[in-house]
Amino acid sequence: MATTRAIKLRVNGADYEGTAEARKTLVDFLREDLGLCGTNIGCEHGVCGACTILMNGETVRSCLMLAVQAEGAELMTVEGLAKATGELHPIQEAYREKHGLQCGFCTPGFLMTTYELLQKNPDATVDEMKEWLSGHLCRCTGYQDILESVKLAASRLRGE
Amino acid sequence: MASPEPKLPSELPVTQPRYVGKDTPRVEDPLLLTGRVEYGGDIRIPGMLHAAILRSPHPHARIKRIDTSRAEKLAGVAAVLTGEDVKKWSRPVFGVPEGWTGYALAVEKSHWAGEPVAVVAASDRYIAEDALELIEVDYEPLEPVVDAVRAAAGAGPFVLEGKESNLAFDRKFVFGDVEGAFAQADRVVREKFRWYRSSGNSIETCVCIAEWNPVNNMLTLRGSHRSPHLILPALVISLGIPSTQVRIIQSPLGGSFGVKTFARYVILLSLMAKKLGGRPVKWVEDRIEHLIGSSTHAWDRHYDCELALKKDGTIVGLKVKLIDDLGAFAEWLAIGMLLKPLLALGSCYHIPNVEYVCKGILTNKTPQGPLRAFGLPPHYWVLEQLIDMAAKELGLDRIEIRRRNFIKKESFPYVSPSGNIYDSGNYEGSLDLLLEKAGYPKLLREQEEARSKGRLVGLSVVSSIEPGLTGPPMLALASPKIFTRTASPEGVLVRMDAFGKMIAEVGFPPGGQSQHSFVRQILADYFGVTVEDVQVITVDSLTMQPGTGPISSSMAIALSGAILGAAARLADKLKRTAGVMLEASPDDVELMDGQLRVRGVPGKALPVPRVAGFMLMRPDLLPEGVDGNPEATYVWNPPDRTIPDERGFGRYSVTAAGAQHLCMVEVDRDTGLVKILKYVMVDDCGIRLNPSVVRGMLMGGLAHGVGAALLEEYVYDDKGQILTSTYMDYLMPTIMEVPAAEEHEMCTPSPIAPLGVKGVGEAALHTTPAAVLCAVNDALQPLGIRITEAPFSPLRIWKAIQGGQTA
Amino acid sequence: MKPARFDYYDPRSLEEALELLQKHQADSKILAGGQSLMPLLNMRLARPKVIVDINRIDGLNSVKSWNGGISIGARVNQRALEREKQVAERLPILREAAQHIGHPQIRSRGTVCGSLAHADPAAELPALALALDAEFVATGPKGARTIPSDSFFVSYFTTSLEPNEILTEVRFPGSPKGMAWSFLEISRRHGDFALAGVVAGLAVDPGRRSITGARLVCFGVGPTPVRVKEAEEALIGQPAGEKSFHAAAEIVSRGVDPDNDVHASADYRRSVAGTLVRRALLQVWQKLGGK
Repeated sequence: MATTRAIKLRVNGADYEGTAEARKTLVDFLREDLGLCGTNIGCEHGVCGACTILMNGETVRSCLMLAVQAEGAELMTVEGLAKATGELHPIQEAYREKHGLQCGFCTPGFLMTTYELLQKNPDATVDEMKEWLSGHLCRCTGYQDILESVKLAASRLRGE
Repeated sequence: MASPEPKLPSELPVTQPRYVGKDTPRVEDPLLLTGRVEYGGDIRIPGMLHAAILRSPHPHARIKRIDTSRAEKLAGVAAVLTGEDVKKWSRPVFGVPEGWTGYALAVEKSHWAGEPVAVVAASDRYIAEDALELIEVDYEPLEPVVDAVRAAAGAGPFVLEGKESNLAFDRKFVFGDVEGAFAQADRVVREKFRWYRSSGNSIETCVCIAEWNPVNNMLTLRGSHRSPHLILPALVISLGIPSTQVRIIQSPLGGSFGVKTFARYVILLSLMAKKLGGRPVKWVEDRIEHLIGSSTHAWDRHYDCELALKKDGTIVGLKVKLIDDLGAFAEWLAIGMLLKPLLALGSCYHIPNVEYVCKGILTNKTPQGPLRAFGLPPHYWVLEQLIDMAAKELGLDRIEIRRRNFIKKESFPYVSPSGNIYDSGNYEGSLDLLLEKAGYPKLLREQEEARSKGRLVGLSVVSSIEPGLTGPPMLALASPKIFTRTASPEGVLVRMDAFGKMIAEVGFPPGGQSQHSFVRQILADYFGVTVEDVQVITVDSLTMQPGTGPISSSMAIALSGAILGAAARLADKLKRTAGVMLEASPDDVELMDGQLRVRGVPGKALPVPRVAGFMLMRPDLLPEGVDGNPEATYVWNPPDRTIPDERGFGRYSVTAAGAQHLCMVEVDRDTGLVKILKYVMVDDCGIRLNPSVVRGMLMGGLAHGVGAALLEEYVYDDKGQILTSTYMDYLMPTIMEVPAAEEHEMCTPSPIAPLGVKGVGEAALHTTPAAVLCAVNDALQPLGIRITEAPFSPLRIWKAIQGGQTA
Repeated sequence: MKPARFDYYDPRSLEEALELLQKHQADSKILAGGQSLMPLLNMRLARPKVIVDINRIDGLNSVKSWNGGISIGARVNQRALEREKQVAERLPILREAAQHIGHPQIRSRGTVCGSLAHADPAAELPALALALDAEFVATGPKGARTIPSDSFFVSYFTTSLEPNEILTEVRFPGSPKGMAWSFLEISRRHGDFALAGVVAGLAVDPGRRSITGARLVCFGVGPTPVRVKEAEEALIGQPAGEKSFHAAAEIVSRGVDPDNDVHASADYRRSVAGTLVRRALLQVWQKLGGK
């Protein structure tokens, strides 16, 4: 049986605990039970990418996961990028400088994808960047400034 | 006395603006980037319930019976709202023209598949959705009306109970001598077009949190409300609640594009809140609801158009007949989208004789609602396509025919056929710039070469006008009783505190267009402080000044005007106080570079914060009429707008931003897929307060336009069932579908608007569909084909190529 | 869009999982990557009483050499096709095609076996499995059985797996000697399900004159991926080039029986399938050094 489970997991380096019905999605659990509202919901069927987070180092759609599936996992959400002092991560700085956001609703998802991409592939080509970014919808920016932000972030992370 | 409104940044009281006109980092960004901004969906209030909406599966049905008893018994369910409650407690949702809408919930009859039929409030959304399944509804399906053209000719059935027609709106506008012009023309080009509906689809859906306290009859609404004063009248009318008993507290929005200016769901949630007797209830629209049920579809048009020309290509007349399938209701201000083309009937071209016949028809589909660009993109497409057709028939080059007809630089302010005025522009200059930057001759050669190899490569060069700040005068044509007004107020409060910091209060939340940032830019330059010294606060509907909010490309104009007006009033108080402090006449005191100084007397100057501080600390020394408060409010209104006469002749908008776009495409003849090879735009939106923000808006509009041209379509079957109810079928453009475009600036400052700005919020969406669609038709020219149904899906293109649709 | 209630199990062993399936049969659904099932659950289009989550089962997560090709366990995600060296070395067409499967954020959770068991006729992996003659290992209460690819896909979203079976492994044999491959699909946007697609394999004689081997599988053109043997046979013995490729394309266009939907008509899919066959064969031919 067990339609309700206790869930223990790590998010942004901190331990969290909660209880949820098995049918509760991970994104709802993060937002409602753990109070981490930075990750947004745009479609609940895996197309828009707004809910994208990192699970064990890989970007996933948190609307397409059950909270119970994250038991014991290591997650990263947008709240884990900036320092506790408020100092922005270089990726966030790059988005700021290149005006890679307008309303900001899709932005956390984009930031997480940018993070994984540049971690795994610091020398990503423009085509590789576009491939990764193609899993996200943005209605405000038209994407060009987002691409410029990712390019700037890549160069900053390479120490240029 | 308050000084006249600066018409250029150089007229600001600063030697060299540090912020206005520059790429200033946005104040909105840090919270957005760190996920710490509180969108409506993030709000939690103690005791808050969650709502889910049961929607009719039938395009047209009578509701014989609703039994909510099993739903009400489900553990966690607090209450269920039905049509019976809604009918008792409200009036039908406001709409223009009046009388063609229904209640916020289906009462006795459902009018479209997706219309709300019941609302459940429960402890969480999961349980609320469980409860929906326990509601029993007996429907008696009725024959739906689905074909707008037949409905326009009088065919039933009729959507609204008590109506003997589906023709909600029917007007003919004639400007100039249209019949005469057509009779004398050398050539008349005629075509029919079909534009299928799409919608705004902001990534954040609509959110409303309602709390209606029965003890003090206070209705508090939180969530994604774009413009509180826009929806307040609708609430007052529908709910019968005094305006001062409503408090709308806006959250930062995840985009709007027209979608969140609307009132239907706010009324519905308020009624749910009423049923709950004081407990707050939150509704977060899900994506399927947004696609089928939120009454925000836009522009479902059948066009029949004619363009009359002299043989040298001079356009002498235009006739536009259109039928717009409004869906089940003529709701809210959607009818304005039929009327907005009146503001720029000829676009950038001088077309003196124009007939515009428009019909708004009800059918059993999702109602239309506001969408960015408000009805102009299809109009510009049909016009540009007709011009391309005419060019071909007359053996003229696409550039030359446009040049010939452009409104000349010397003609501004230009009075268009409908009386609407374009303030400034330089279309020929923009065109020259566009062709130069795009390398047009080279593109022509590339096209030649590609064609010689059998490739389908097409080019287009198109124009558009983006009217800045429209609104009531246009709506007066559909509802003179309510909209006989020229006002579109935007009000702010500006204050300096004891520490020399500034506070600005605005009546709308951030939503992506950076208004809060440019408020800081203007105030910082005006008073010589830094942008970090300016705090911009969104205040709620009871605290705000009269305001319209960010709709219809208005904020650069109206908000600048409001800020400058308040700044001038504050400056006036400061000058009079400084006069006392400097022992000079206030008429000799000027504000410049953050100092109040005596004209012509160097050394006699005080920093602004000193003077503000003096006002706060020494009320005993203040001059007559100056209160001890360095604060001012101002409500800006567009000057010179008129109420249109019966012909529809009037002055509707304030500014006219202009754009010229070039698009080059290749069509794969075997698959119908379109690749955009090159895209260049020149935009003239007057002075750019923050260039990177303007550029971002243009690129966003471009992406939206590509979606509208090639991908986005709500498809209905012949029984009125929607077939595109998820993001698998309603296709939004991703980075892969949007070309890397070049953007260049032409600037003819507005002589009317503050700081010379023109609105740019709706931007490239006006122009891009025309650019892409005309380029595709140019690509198909060697095959003798023209497509006239948009979006141009691969299937439509392939069918046309197979079937040889004649050009 | 929240799922209806279900009982949830995440067994640690295959035996446990199989017991659950045996007990609940068609009342249960297997949850692997969730990229296909979760949208259906969220929309309440799928309402199983029981979810059996196989993500915590010991094992079932390796990519191994097998018969000159590779075997992929039930829990292996689609990113493995891009990541694993063995895939790049032995069956590079899988790696090439993987980029068309959704987006990187889908491929991190979506599993290879899950996509195969889901059997969406417009999906890439079922077509690849059919073209590459994959074997499907179905494990049930009585043990494992091997299902050949030509009897695995039965209809829309329907395979020959029993309700009490789990697809525990898929095995791709090595590519036939000398055969090169091409993958093409048409979709309205990058990463979408295909309107139509083709997996084409071609082998030619040492002189590169005549065709010695051909495989043509189309997808998005009917209830299952379709291997058009008539077109393959028509190619054997023919000189590789425009003429024979065009003839094969014609046979394919005539031979498939696709559906209409909001994005494309049956006629369109028929025609485009032919176009893609022609283009894919040309592409493979180029890979083999032809043209």
